[in-house]
Amino acid sequence: MSHPTITATATLDRSTVGILVAEFEREMRTKPKRVCVDLGAVESFDSAGLGAVVSSMKAANEAGVEIKLKGLSQPMLDFFSLVSVHRLVMPSLPVVRPGAVVRLGAVVEPMVDGALAVLRTARDTFRELVLGTLRGQFLRLDRTAIEVDHCAAGALAIIALIAFMLGMVLAMQAYVQLRVWGCEVYVADMVGVAVIAEIGPLMTAIVLAARSGSRNAAQLGAMVVSEEIAALEQMGIRPLSFLVAPKVVACAYGALALTIVFDVVGMCGGAAFAWGFAGIELGAFAEQLRQALTLEDFVVALAKSTTFGAAVGLVGCALGLRVQDGSEGVGRATTNSVVLSIFLVIVIDALFVTWQRMAR
Amino acid sequence: MKPLSSDPAARRQTEDLVRAVALTTMFGERTVLDGVDLAVRRGEVFVIMGPSGCGKTTLLRNLCGLLPPTLGSVSVAGHDLYSASPELLQHLRLRTGLSFQGGALLGNLSVLDNVALPLRENTDLPEAVIVETARMKLDMVGLLHASMSMPSALSGGMRKRAALARAIALDPDIVYFDEPSSGLDPVTAAEVDNLIAKLNKVFGITMIVVTHDLPSAYAIADRILVLLDGKVAAMGARDHVWMDTNARLRDFIERRRPAEDSRGMDVISHLEV
Repeated sequence: MSHPTITATATLDRSTVGILVAEFEREMRTKPKRVCVDLGAVESFDSAGLGAVVSSMKAANEAGVEIKLKGLSQPMLDFFSLVSVHRLVMPSLPVVRPGAVVRLGAVVEPMVDGALAVLRTARDTFRELVLGTLRGQFLRLDRTAIEVDHCAAGALAIIALIAFMLGMVLAMQAYVQLRVWGCEVYVADMVGVAVIAEIGPLMTAIVLAARSGSRNAAQLGAMVVSEEIAALEQMGIRPLSFLVAPKVVACAYGALALTIVFDVVGMCGGAAFAWGFAGIELGAFAEQLRQALTLEDFVVALAKSTTFGAAVGLVGCALGLRVQDGSEGVGRATTNSVVLSIFLVIVIDALFVTWQRMAR
Repeated sequence: MKPLSSDPAARRQTEDLVRAVALTTMFGERTVLDGVDLAVRRGEVFVIMGPSGCGKTTLLRNLCGLLPPTLGSVSVAGHDLYSASPELLQHLRLRTGLSFQGGALLGNLSVLDNVALPLRENTDLPEAVIVETARMKLDMVGLLHASMSMPSALSGGMRKRAALARAIALDPDIVYFDEPSSGLDPVTAAEVDNLIAKLNKVFGITMIVVTHDLPSAYAIADRILVLLDGKVAAMGARDHVWMDTNARLRDFIERRRPAEDSRGMDVISHLEV
């Protein structure tokens, strides 16, 4: 009984493999018991050409069809001497799709792990700062100063610009509503309370998360990948005191300082609009602000802002230090640090507002 | 892409496939390569040797088109690499493979996908053929069992071998190797050397290998270029270079500290007797 034979052309390379593959698939549709591939006419070939032959052998093997090769030239035998055809054509193991619980776990587990890592880093950093000081191991001021320079000084221009523009926009929105009732002067109350209580700390924390939190995650992640963290530990230098504590303190201090700048410049923006477009005297604007705001508002806002800064610093460092999987992991940690920082800032803000406005 | 010839011996001609003329590369004020001339013949294993910091990797990056030299020119198959049009440069790049020192595998792709990447991006082969071709390359370097692993799960030696499989995925005419056996145990290093020799013999691929590993260089080289302080100290057939009488070259080959290096000796002049 004769069996179908597929004859390869003189050139068996990536430009002609489609012909061989199509012919093989056509023969396989007839459900033969045995197929022969004749390579005797092949004069030149490349890896893709022989890849098509192996691919056909594997497909035949999986379908239970016997496949034979004939007419292999010496160069082809030399090529096949570098591989094990038996190993290549073994059927692949079926891919088992994980169940719903496993898939849910794969989504939830990294989130829980990330949150726990942040809590652990917070605990260890707090310990390092408090117990270390008691043991005479003080915060490294030189490294903290470098970090403050990046966090605070580096963000000064963008914070001032955002604050001035947002102050004007808030004043504009308030003015449109208040002039209906003839009480435009309350623009100052609106701008003051909004900037001091919410917009200032929140916007500062968001800018900090985008600039410094992501930088910390990427920097520490890259240091993990290149084994710099392991080298520090091996030299007896604790990454927590050498790298993390200065970054966290710098973020907290940076958030505090930048929030003060934001508040002042934001109110200047509101005042500029009130004076320039709404016809409100600067003296009246300032007097209205004095009446609307209390010292407690400032103190709570600054405490809130410092906490936001510390949270941003901790999240970036915690996620950076647990990077795995090389550059892919660094990218993931950087993105997650910004997302988790902003989420955490909103949660902390909600807790502060609840305590300040509702619980008392 | 030009297909592999069924007769590799036919491709072993004496024509120069890669030429560098008066290559000088400076980083700021520092001259790393100083007037290097070389010619690599089609089908040979050309080894660039020298001590650490002598400019080997810089020379390799100049030759493969990653780093333009400050002065001089590099030509591949008669085309000037640094004045080529983007289309010609892309064509030349598809005919060459580069195996980086650390592997440079893409961390978000499995080992199989790393090797299949150049085939997927540069050919219109059916997916099954791409996968089988990539698996064949992985089998050649002994990594078929790790094809579904991520690069982060591989050891240093496995990464180097995966990088080699990716470098030969498109059946290049030239493969550049940056320290292929550094950091490997002697058995794995010998395996990599054998693989380079086999690929050269079976496919007639021109190999340009940068190494400071003397046994490895001697095992695989047809011709050797020795760089010392950015200059060519010797170039020629392997045994000819190995027997060269240049004093500094002998120091390097015989693993001696150069005579002008006074480390450990000049303290004597400060001793009180």
